[in-house]
Amino acid sequence: MSEPDRPAALRVAIADDALLLREGIAKVLEDGGIEVVASVGTADELLEAVRDLDLDAAVLDIRMPPTHRDEGIVALEQLRAGGDQMGVLLLSMYATPEYALRVMGAGSGTGYLLKERVSEPQTLVRAVETVASGGSVVDPEVVEQLVHRTRADDPLARLTERERSVLELMAQGYSNGGIAQTLFLGLKTVETHVRSILQKLDLEESPEHHRRVLAVLTLLGAR
Amino acid sequence: MMAPGRRGRIARRSVLIGAVIAASLLMEISGFLASAPGAHQEVSYATVHAMVPIVFAACAGVAWAIGPTDVPARLMVAFPLLWIPQTFYVVIEDLGWLWPLFRGVDLGWAVLTGILVLVYPRGGLADRTDRWIAGIAIVASVVNFGAVLLLATPSAVPCDCVPNVYQVADLPTVFGLVDVGYRIVGVGLALVIAGRLLVRWVRGSVPARTAAFLMPAALFAWATTLAVQALTYAAAVNTDIVLTTISLFAIASVPVCFVAGIAHVRNMRSRVADLMRITREGADRGLWAESLARTLRDDSVRVYWWDEERGRYADAAGVPIDSAETDPRSGHSILPVSSPTGNPIALIRHDRVLTDNMRLLDGVSSALRLSVDNGRLRSEIERTLEQVRQSRQRIVEAGVEARRRIERDLHDGAQQQLVSVGMRLRVASNQARELGDTALAEEIEETIGVLNQALKELRELAHGIHPSLLSSGGLSLAVPELAGRCTVPIEVDVQAEGRLPELVESTAYFAVAESLANVAKHSHATRGWVRAHVEGDELVLVVRDNGLGGASLDAGSGMLGIADRVDAVGGSLELESPPGAGTTITVRMPLGGALGDA
Repeated sequence: MSEPDRPAALRVAIADDALLLREGIAKVLEDGGIEVVASVGTADELLEAVRDLDLDAAVLDIRMPPTHRDEGIVALEQLRAGGDQMGVLLLSMYATPEYALRVMGAGSGTGYLLKERVSEPQTLVRAVETVASGGSVVDPEVVEQLVHRTRADDPLARLTERERSVLELMAQGYSNGGIAQTLFLGLKTVETHVRSILQKLDLEESPEHHRRVLAVLTLLGAR
Repeated sequence: MMAPGRRGRIARRSVLIGAVIAASLLMEISGFLASAPGAHQEVSYATVHAMVPIVFAACAGVAWAIGPTDVPARLMVAFPLLWIPQTFYVVIEDLGWLWPLFRGVDLGWAVLTGILVLVYPRGGLADRTDRWIAGIAIVASVVNFGAVLLLATPSAVPCDCVPNVYQVADLPTVFGLVDVGYRIVGVGLALVIAGRLLVRWVRGSVPARTAAFLMPAALFAWATTLAVQALTYAAAVNTDIVLTTISLFAIASVPVCFVAGIAHVRNMRSRVADLMRITREGADRGLWAESLARTLRDDSVRVYWWDEERGRYADAAGVPIDSAETDPRSGHSILPVSSPTGNPIALIRHDRVLTDNMRLLDGVSSALRLSVDNGRLRSEIERTLEQVRQSRQRIVEAGVEARRRIERDLHDGAQQQLVSVGMRLRVASNQARELGDTALAEEIEETIGVLNQALKELRELAHGIHPSLLSSGGLSLAVPELAGRCTVPIEVDVQAEGRLPELVESTAYFAVAESLANVAKHSHATRGWVRAHVEGDELVLVVRDNGLGGASLDAGSGMLGIADRVDAVGGSLELESPPGAGTTITVRMPLGGALGDA
């Protein structure tokens, strides 16, 4: 993940219809050195806040009023359609690969996390920082689900155990450096693994970080 | 195509009728020729006399074909044999053993005619009085026959006959008394029969009175002429030729009236039967009035139906009955028809002439009652069925709604709270760590782990109750997700542009879920396919596997529940699972919502 080393704190808005969680998220982020400049209950109010305030990122619940369906993702898509590249982290009660794909498909600087990650402050703070800097974040549980999907012709069978671990982290949005740190491997080793994985899975090496995530997720989601 | 037995019977009867006519004509012609030229009766009279038995014999043929029993036909065919022309005695005047036999039965035709009238129209004697009348006539005939045989002299017949070989005594007074008494009894019985017939006719118990009026008229003419004949015979006066001719016509009219009446009743019955057939299919009210007019041959027929809501009678177009219609002075009568329980059904306004035809009107009102009852029962069943269908759909809808609500309650309630509990525990553990209580911090972190496991299970549970992905993404997202969870690789092809009615989506989703669960659990398949296409205005869902097959919609299987739910939204489920050849489940559901959209 990209390391934030800006002197100024990130300016973030939170949208969640559950006040309790909204406050909790705000507290976790503020404890992590992030400035919460707006805390609202609907996607529309968030879009308003985005217009009015200079934000680095937004944390959105996916299910919000009025329909309680996918308001959060729709808001993300509206932002991207409007050319806004700010970081957007979506929170969901469910780990739904289809949603993760949709979120990644919206462009870079996006993330999809389970809500319960709020009990892991670092994960949440890091995710916000990652999306704010244009990186991608996908909840490990989503990746786990995708990796364990049954396939008629499983491309993952061609991977070694180590390569699988690397792939899972790639799918979660880790950079090569992040993967190296997490798996206690050298950066060169990780790069070798990544190249091998991309080759085995017939994926193109993309210069854009989020495209790599999307490609991996798409491959995993495909049947 | 006639049965051979029936054809044989008709042939035998035709031969019998021909033989009887031949015998009768033989008597007439031989008698006419044998009588002395001076004593010749007029040719016209002889001809009319000869026609009477022929009419009877011909009517016997008709009566056999359409009569209610064989009795009338047998009476009619026996008639010509007993219709002995007075001139015939000249032919047999030299046969002392034969003419008394003829003389003994030569009034038998009158007895036959009387009984024929009595058995009209049912072909049997109706009651004890009828049987008494017939019994007296037969006993009187037997007594008369005996008296003729034992006592008659050649003076009793219009010929120069040889003596009666059976004669045992010469008692002209006794013979005269019996002879005249027999005729008087006959006339008396004829009058009684005519009276009874008249009473029946007036009471209207005789069906087809329009045709039957000829019967009593004929009988009256006959009885009257018979009475006159009897009196003139008793007074030994020469019979008036005109009176005798009229009486011949009257007698000849009896069998004609008989068969005409029977034919009319049959025709009427077939018309009522037609009415029943036409209206059996349904109680279309416009059709009813039309068919009724045809059946009753009365264009002025109007049918007014009872309108339960408004408490009045109205015609098929809903125009209420006019009080002028029920006015007796309008020349119309009103026939009320009510259900077996006494509830009014309709009024039939018809020409008053038809009141005579009570049997016909009875048939008509029975047909109407049946038809209305049928229609009412059918619409009641249809209404009930529709209610059941709707309530079943509502139950299914309510079930879907309940699941969605439970999921949402979990999502907004328990799940959020547990997440926020996790968050607080994290704060607490951080604080514990800051305070240097590592043990407590670790304890709390372990609790967070347990909590997250519980959250994960709760998530799965909520997802199973109602997948949020279905609500937001429809089948095109939810079905691939479902297939991804299956332990057997499943190829998915969902082509449902846009969103479908919610009830269809959720029914389809659970159908796929159940089918895939079966694939995973029982089929031993290595591949599966899910295809969901919108074809026209229905969703066609096919779930197929390459497994063992042999699946069924047994009571225990979850598929039965799915079939019920599919049925409830107006769709169909077809399961094809031959042993060893995989299983294919095809579900079709109307999108337009045969029972209204969800």
